[in-house]
Amino acid sequence: MVDVGLVVANLVYGLLIGIIYGIATVGLNMIFGVLKIVNVGHGAFIMVGAYVTLLLFTLAGVTPPLTIVASMAVGIGLGLLFYYLVIKYLVDAPELATLLATFAIGVLLQEIVKAFMGADSRGFTWNLGNIEIAGVSVALSKVIAAILSIALLGFLYLVIYRTKLGLAIRAVVQDKEGAMVVGVDVDRIYAISFALGIMVTVASGSILAMYLQSGIHPYMGEIYTLKGFVIAVMAGLGSIPGAFIAGILFGLFENLSYVALQSIEGIQPLVLTRSIAFLLLLIILLVKPSGLFQR
Amino acid sequence: MPGVDPWVLREALRRSAPTLVFYLVLLALYLAMPQYSQFIAMILFYAILGQAFNIFMGMTGYVDFGYVAFLASGAYAFSLAAIALSEAGVTGWIFIPVGLAFAAIVAATLASIVGAIALRLRGAYFAIATIGVNEGLRYFVEGANLLGGSIGLYIVKNLKALVGKEGYQLAATLLADLLMFLLAAVTVLVTGIILSSRLGYALQAIREDEDAARALGINVTKYKVTAFIISGMLGGMLGALNWALKGGVVEPAHVFMIHYTVEAIVIVMLGGAGTLLGPVFGAMTYIGLNYVSNVYIAPILESMGIKATGLHLIILAPILLAIIIAAPNGIVGLLKERIKNPRIRSFIT
Amino acid sequence: MAGKNLYLGVGILIIIILLAGVFMMQGGEEQATQTGETTPAAGQTQEQTQAQETQQEAKTETQTEAQAGGEVETLVIGAPLSLSGKYAKEGEMSLMGALAAVKWINDNGGITVNGKKYMLEFKYYDDESNPDRVTSIVERLITQDGVKFLLAPYSSGLTAKAAPVAERYGALMLSHGGASDKIFQQGYDYLVQILTPASRYFTSVLDMVKAIDPQAKTVAIVYKENEFSRTVAEGAKAYAEKLGFEVVYFQSYPADAQDLTPVLQPLKDLQPDVIIGGGHFADGQLLARQINELGIKAKLVGILVAPALPDFYKNLGEAAEGIVYPSQWEPGVTFSPETTPQGYEWYGPTVEEFIKYFKEVAKERGKGDIMPSYHAADAAAAILFLAKAIEQANSLNPDDVRQAMNDLALFTFYGKLKIDPETGLQIGHDMIVGQWQNGKKVIVWPKEAAQAEPLYPKP
Repeated sequence: MVDVGLVVANLVYGLLIGIIYGIATVGLNMIFGVLKIVNVGHGAFIMVGAYVTLLLFTLAGVTPPLTIVASMAVGIGLGLLFYYLVIKYLVDAPELATLLATFAIGVLLQEIVKAFMGADSRGFTWNLGNIEIAGVSVALSKVIAAILSIALLGFLYLVIYRTKLGLAIRAVVQDKEGAMVVGVDVDRIYAISFALGIMVTVASGSILAMYLQSGIHPYMGEIYTLKGFVIAVMAGLGSIPGAFIAGILFGLFENLSYVALQSIEGIQPLVLTRSIAFLLLLIILLVKPSGLFQR
Repeated sequence: MPGVDPWVLREALRRSAPTLVFYLVLLALYLAMPQYSQFIAMILFYAILGQAFNIFMGMTGYVDFGYVAFLASGAYAFSLAAIALSEAGVTGWIFIPVGLAFAAIVAATLASIVGAIALRLRGAYFAIATIGVNEGLRYFVEGANLLGGSIGLYIVKNLKALVGKEGYQLAATLLADLLMFLLAAVTVLVTGIILSSRLGYALQAIREDEDAARALGINVTKYKVTAFIISGMLGGMLGALNWALKGGVVEPAHVFMIHYTVEAIVIVMLGGAGTLLGPVFGAMTYIGLNYVSNVYIAPILESMGIKATGLHLIILAPILLAIIIAAPNGIVGLLKERIKNPRIRSFIT
Repeated sequence: MAGKNLYLGVGILIIIILLAGVFMMQGGEEQATQTGETTPAAGQTQEQTQAQETQQEAKTETQTEAQAGGEVETLVIGAPLSLSGKYAKEGEMSLMGALAAVKWINDNGGITVNGKKYMLEFKYYDDESNPDRVTSIVERLITQDGVKFLLAPYSSGLTAKAAPVAERYGALMLSHGGASDKIFQQGYDYLVQILTPASRYFTSVLDMVKAIDPQAKTVAIVYKENEFSRTVAEGAKAYAEKLGFEVVYFQSYPADAQDLTPVLQPLKDLQPDVIIGGGHFADGQLLARQINELGIKAKLVGILVAPALPDFYKNLGEAAEGIVYPSQWEPGVTFSPETTPQGYEWYGPTVEEFIKYFKEVAKERGKGDIMPSYHAADAAAAILFLAKAIEQANSLNPDDVRQAMNDLALFTFYGKLKIDPETGLQIGHDMIVGQWQNGKKVIVWPKEAAQAEPLYPKP
């Protein structure tokens, strides 16, 4: 017997968390799309964003939606810093070197945050009450987080498709040598793209903090690196809108597969959904390795 | 390996010799300085991890993030064998060869399945698919309540039933380490043979340009899968020795930790991918720095009034970054670059 | 490339500095041991100078001599602590708790063995919460730092890896955190447990419900899928059924879950009387928040680990109100020398003293004005139990001390301590039940230790 109410509730929550997954993956995919670098330290940047929101809200009382602006600034700063300090030297290096370097950056960020903030799991309360969506009661803060995710995606879309800078970025993605010939400073474009990718990632950390309001600790990002990989591959590495849609699908899939597994005795359905998600990943990779949304 | 050309064997020995000497020195130190034996055993574990991982990653350039799953499968297989034997009333040391063989078989089986599927993918896609395999297995064990579920398998009691209390202590502290030295030697020799044989040249061709290799008529898939299975099998035996025999507890949250793969990558990169000496140097540097900053530097900082704990990773990460940028071919690459004397050079393999 | 050479240079420089550090430290260590021996003498001269100033020479001299008891030696107690990695939070608290206990013992004359006075020194290294690191650290503590008594590392996996090394050298380990029941069924001779085992975590909570509301029938258990929490959950399920409850829901969530709504959703319809579960810090907070957000009503919500931390309320606000938790220890407990039960012997600081010492240590370590969590108390209790056992055995031989522990029935600021001679499992210590009421933690069970009536049903 499938409980209809349970299915609807899981659809709504799956959609909401899926939107968050989506925005949390966009930065990863953008960096891969332009620089062909898989950012293994991805989750650490999400964690930084969560701390920005936590600190601004608890210490200065800044309302969480506004903290995203601060996160974006922090993201651009960190992106440029790490690009010129590290990534710049590795753009043409073998895949291994970049995997390792981004891993080291992730560890560095985690440990610095831990040194200043401690290892405690932190949280805050920003309660705006609940609203009803399709008969399901949902915290308003979660809905706002989802809306802000879409707004952030829109902002990135505008930058990439409606500005001169975006044109240059797209030119580099399509044909690096060609772009160089027509006078595009590829190094600068790389720097800006990396910074933009990190910006979105850090900002998504703020949104995530707003959504969960708990469990903020230095190592919180690791699971988003893993899920981000799955979602990015589902979408096709490099695709930005694809990452967002794949995130939503992933969220829905996770929650619905839970409903499906729930009736089986003797297993732990929510834990098994993880297994199923990775099985899905393998199937996608085998059937359509270029991802669902890659031309 | 049966049917190996004697020339290949000689060449393999020549290449392996410097690394084997290093392991012999480590073994001598291990026996001579019992107060440092566990420190050396820790280096040894990471050296073998790097060495076994290197067989596939270093030679083909494919990054298998899910490599730790082979160690996990070996540890589980060994534990199951130990439990089965002790419950069947068997006693004595026979469980070690049986367990190791079972671990090798299970890991090789897993490797051939994963290899057949994932090796059709390349680059980042392959890397991510292998993460999927690892995490998928872990949550399957936990979610479906298999093999002790999230609690895992506890085999200390079984091991004590097999060889007695003193026997277990000996196994966990001395014997497991000595067997790891043996495994290290085997791994080095296997690497040497691969490097000197047709397999090695084929893998190198794949690493340089897979499509060109295919166009030349090299059976790319066959060679890749072969290397993958060998690498996985050695990993399985390492997991069995270090986690099941030495550790006594096989817990999914630990044995499927991707962190180990990342550490293996660090070690291979640090030492030099695709080389024989690389993983040993890499492990010595990585674990050495870690140990030094943890055991010596952290207390100094603390005595200076810097009370934050766990600082050593903050020191380690920038060093790693510096090495990646300044010496992308690792320590061995750096040595090859700097040392011009051909006779000394010939020892840097 | 200039950039590359720069990096190379910096890298080599750092390595040289690190190596130089090693040699300096090795020299420093020798000095440290020397100063360790000479410290009391230095203290003496200082006191003498003071005494001369106040012109009470004779009196003070006899006093210091009596205090010093001729010669004072140092006894080093070691610990692999998880100061980074996933148990970093517990590790920090354990460290400060252990240091507080050591300080109290030293301030109260150290321990006496065979007429000789020993001051304690606590030596520790970071094991990174990693079983592959812990063996070398345990070995180092034993062989280099001369440690014969150790606090065990956190969690079963680390303990299992450390135990054979400790046993090989015949060093005694006291488990003060995270190790589950299973580890004590493996037949270790030198492993002793201080805290209540995982399987008994929720027994006090369930006893309390049974006592105050005989009508309560249904129990839902939602726990984190890992070794510790699962052991707790299974123990709770068995005990609930023994008490006549019906366990209507028994489900888990993965270790690093960020959204528990799927697993919590069915509870809205089930409406169990009691919800218990949780796992660790991050997920425990999440569980409390989402139970509140989803509007799930239960008469009692009991969550593991997370609510015991002061931050719980700060982080969750009203969602924390009424949450019940099992705890090894709370700062508000009323254990005192006067309340020592029959057959037990009081030892160690009073609750107030322990908190005072802990706060001093925390301040020294730059942690500010914080209260000890039960992890700190666990570690402190381990040190006290060990110190008393050493005095009782009147020997520094771990075998004798282990033997003495079998007969030890200790009452401390932490409550009762008594071990099962066979397995080393803790059988004396009981969990207490705490609850968040009006933004404050209060002890609500057992009755004799309670500071307030339980808020039941949960608002």
